[in-house]
Amino acid sequence: MLEAPIEMRRLELYMLDRDAQQAALTLAELSVLHPLEVRPAEAEMPELPATSYHQVYHELNARFGKVANYLQQPLEEATGAAETVTLEQLRELDDQLRRLWARVSEMEEQLRRQHEKHGAIRQLVSSLQKFASLDLDLSRLRRRGRFLRIYVGSVPSGNFAQLRRALSLSGFMTRAFYSSEGLDHVVLFGPSRQQDEVQDVLDSADFRGLNVPDEFNGSPAQLQADLNRQSEEVATEIEAIERELAIQLATHVPLLQRTHDLLVQARPFASLATVLRGRGGLVFLQGWVPAHRQDEIRRALKRDLAAPFHIEFTRPGVEEYDAVPSLLRQSRLLQPFQALVKNFGIPGYREVDPSGLFALSYILMFGMMFGDIGHGAVIAAGGLLLWRRYPGISIVAGLAGFSSMIFGFVYGSLFGYEHVVEPLWMSPMQDPVRVLLLAVIWGAGFIIIANLLAIRNFLVSGQLEQVLFSGKGGAGLLFYLAACVAGYRFYTQGAIGWPEIGLLLLPLAVIMWGKWRQSSGAVFERLLVVFIEGLEHVISNVSGTLSFLRVAAFSLNHIALAAAVFAIAAMLDSVGHWITVVLGNVFIIVLEGAIVAIQCLRLEYYEGFSRFFGGKGKAFAPLKFET
Amino acid sequence: MSSHSSAYLATRLRLHASRLIKFPQLLEFIDFDLDRILAELRQVSGVHYDIEAVNAAPIESQLTNRALEDFLVLIRPFSGSDRRFFIFALRWFELVNLKVLIRGKFSGVDSSEIGDQLLELGSFADLPLKKLLQTDDPYEMLRLLETTAYGGIVRQARRVYEEHGNDLFLLDATIDRGFFIDLSQRARFLQRRDGEFVERVMGGLLDRFNLLWLLRYRFSYGLSAAKSFYLLTTTGQRLHSAELMALARLDSIEEVVAALPQPYQRMLAGTASISDMETIMEYYSLTVAADMLHKNSNLLAQTFAYILLREAEVRFLQALIKGKQLGFEIDLIRRAVGAHG
Repeated sequence: MLEAPIEMRRLELYMLDRDAQQAALTLAELSVLHPLEVRPAEAEMPELPATSYHQVYHELNARFGKVANYLQQPLEEATGAAETVTLEQLRELDDQLRRLWARVSEMEEQLRRQHEKHGAIRQLVSSLQKFASLDLDLSRLRRRGRFLRIYVGSVPSGNFAQLRRALSLSGFMTRAFYSSEGLDHVVLFGPSRQQDEVQDVLDSADFRGLNVPDEFNGSPAQLQADLNRQSEEVATEIEAIERELAIQLATHVPLLQRTHDLLVQARPFASLATVLRGRGGLVFLQGWVPAHRQDEIRRALKRDLAAPFHIEFTRPGVEEYDAVPSLLRQSRLLQPFQALVKNFGIPGYREVDPSGLFALSYILMFGMMFGDIGHGAVIAAGGLLLWRRYPGISIVAGLAGFSSMIFGFVYGSLFGYEHVVEPLWMSPMQDPVRVLLLAVIWGAGFIIIANLLAIRNFLVSGQLEQVLFSGKGGAGLLFYLAACVAGYRFYTQGAIGWPEIGLLLLPLAVIMWGKWRQSSGAVFERLLVVFIEGLEHVISNVSGTLSFLRVAAFSLNHIALAAAVFAIAAMLDSVGHWITVVLGNVFIIVLEGAIVAIQCLRLEYYEGFSRFFGGKGKAFAPLKFET
Repeated sequence: MSSHSSAYLATRLRLHASRLIKFPQLLEFIDFDLDRILAELRQVSGVHYDIEAVNAAPIESQLTNRALEDFLVLIRPFSGSDRRFFIFALRWFELVNLKVLIRGKFSGVDSSEIGDQLLELGSFADLPLKKLLQTDDPYEMLRLLETTAYGGIVRQARRVYEEHGNDLFLLDATIDRGFFIDLSQRARFLQRRDGEFVERVMGGLLDRFNLLWLLRYRFSYGLSAAKSFYLLTTTGQRLHSAELMALARLDSIEEVVAALPQPYQRMLAGTASISDMETIMEYYSLTVAADMLHKNSNLLAQTFAYILLREAEVRFLQALIKGKQLGFEIDLIRRAVGAHG
């Protein structure tokens, strides 16, 4: 339940450069190597043998991603044995994909232009429909008068005001006759001699002009038909380009499939670009591997590498712990709880992985706060229904619901009814003070365990000073135990004596001494810091313990809410009564259930994890095959 | 904003304003070597900048990021349309990357070279830089850019590219124009009194942009009066639509300068080149911002003025440090940082 992440060894592998890619494949197949970049003897190995490979891989991968976005059907996953991919193979594929992408991109640009054209025609159709409000002979638009030039069309509304002023400089008058959907439909007229200059401005303003065909007979319907014909032509053109694009892609599926497969095989070596170091044909690779797989790695490399190699596995020193990645032990049942732990942070290499303890205490607290046979059964059943789609949520909900049912039997509560099932212990409402007291005892136990775990974490990471003087260490534990004794004495006898005060002050003095040693600056400043931090330690212990009162408070709240539902239901007739009871129970399950789930998480994170868990570890990220 | 937040912001602003380097002091930096410049910077700002001997990009990013972090602290007390205005204003820094990308791709520069010139903006970055660098041609990049928050600006840039070809100045001007129009629109949503003060600061900036680009469009590119006027952005403090339209009709730079309202006419009289005019106009717009920062009590306008002044300072230092790292002559550096006028 309380294990540290899997023990690691530093792997150092010296091999010939022609074997480097095979070594990457072998290690990726085993999924055992977390590559390590920093290397003390970097100056001795100045070459980066995988850099150019990585560059070509990176470009090919990006290009492949762009083309693959257009595929309707996903490509097949790579199968078969891993094989090395040469730089030349990557380059050749990159050339082919570059040509393919150039063609695809060109067609995409053609499509963009056609869609823009289509949009412009739609704007003109819209302009034409608004002509009813204008007393204008459309056939005049066709005639290029000697003195007068008329334009009809639309312009984005944001450009209109500036365009109107600008055209006035060329002697043109502008009138907007309709505005809609961000467009102003306009008529412009002015001297013909300025038309080139005006056309230039209109182009800049994104003006879409209505062109009147030569055979125009003055009927708007004819113009409408002409625009419809243009629209159909553009739509046909779009279809043709899309068809051509589909054909291009379909004929290149084998190329894309091959690229996909080779990229999968090339990735492990390419991703070692900044890690692999070399000199004169010799290549060096290092990283972290699980200690229990050393022999397997050695055997696999011996089997796969052509030339002799030198491999070393070393145990990390305490000073390296911060750099070692954490590989948590996997358990199907604990996986969703591990995800919640990772949400707070990843355990450091030698820190305790609290997932097991977290799971147990979370489930227990949920049951204590939400104890009801019926509500628990509904939550558990809901969890089971989610099994296929959300297995993680299903496990948490199933266990939480089950715990809720157990505590439902303990409290004798079934869908809020307190007198249907005989309680194994008692209903919290019968003796709230006792329940509150038990919650405080539960909290104290929780905090003591958290303190013990913190001491364990300090010990394994060699932080002896923290073990002795820290508020989270031994001194902190002694202070907390003394506070518990003093609290018990005060509760039972109404006062505390000098021995308890002495027991409290001694560890507190040690904690403050530890803080004094850590602080720096002027004496007064240090005194102030020590005093404030000491006070903060006392307050946080008291408030942390009292925080667990919510465990009892929610169990009482659960009954109070049910009582409120029944009180409302009692005021209604039989149909209304049962509707209220059902809806009230749904309300309790959904709303209170969610609040209790969040409160449990809060207690775990802030009163538990923050006391012993740094969460600053690095996740183990092995070299592996990925698309 | 609560009185507590106002007091906090006013204090912060005073602190930051006191750390701005005065222009004469910045000019002195030009004669210093790189180590001395960094030491002076450390003394003023208290920040240690790491520098690599051959690559200016990291320190450019550091200067920008430090400024952006300070801006973020300053705009934190604002909410609603005030906050949205500032968040948009800070996009100016990302426009630098946008311009580098567009310029680079249209000029056929290698992706890794473009990547070296990009500023690392951390959490402020909105552009998918990695994907943009992986594009194989400018049109592919434009299509990708059109799906970002800068889609509108990019569509205008595309139109300019299609009309005028690979003219980098015009592309830059188009991007800036789109930004200023959007910024002015956001300024209209500010409360009336705040908006008036902000527009006063922004006015100098817009006048500078409009006048200089009017001169370039008319006399460097030979565009018509109508087209030149159309390509200008929202009107500023003294150069309103009527003035700009009248200026667009004139036939020479001298006539334009003579027809300018005061103080621009007085400031620019006798100046021959457009780049010299740019330096003078920038100095003026920053003076307006400095006045707003030090002599006004409108926190929103003061914050905006501070952002403008700090951005100018960062730009100056980036150009100076890059010039020093590349070993340029002092005169060339003076020209690059706009200190030759």
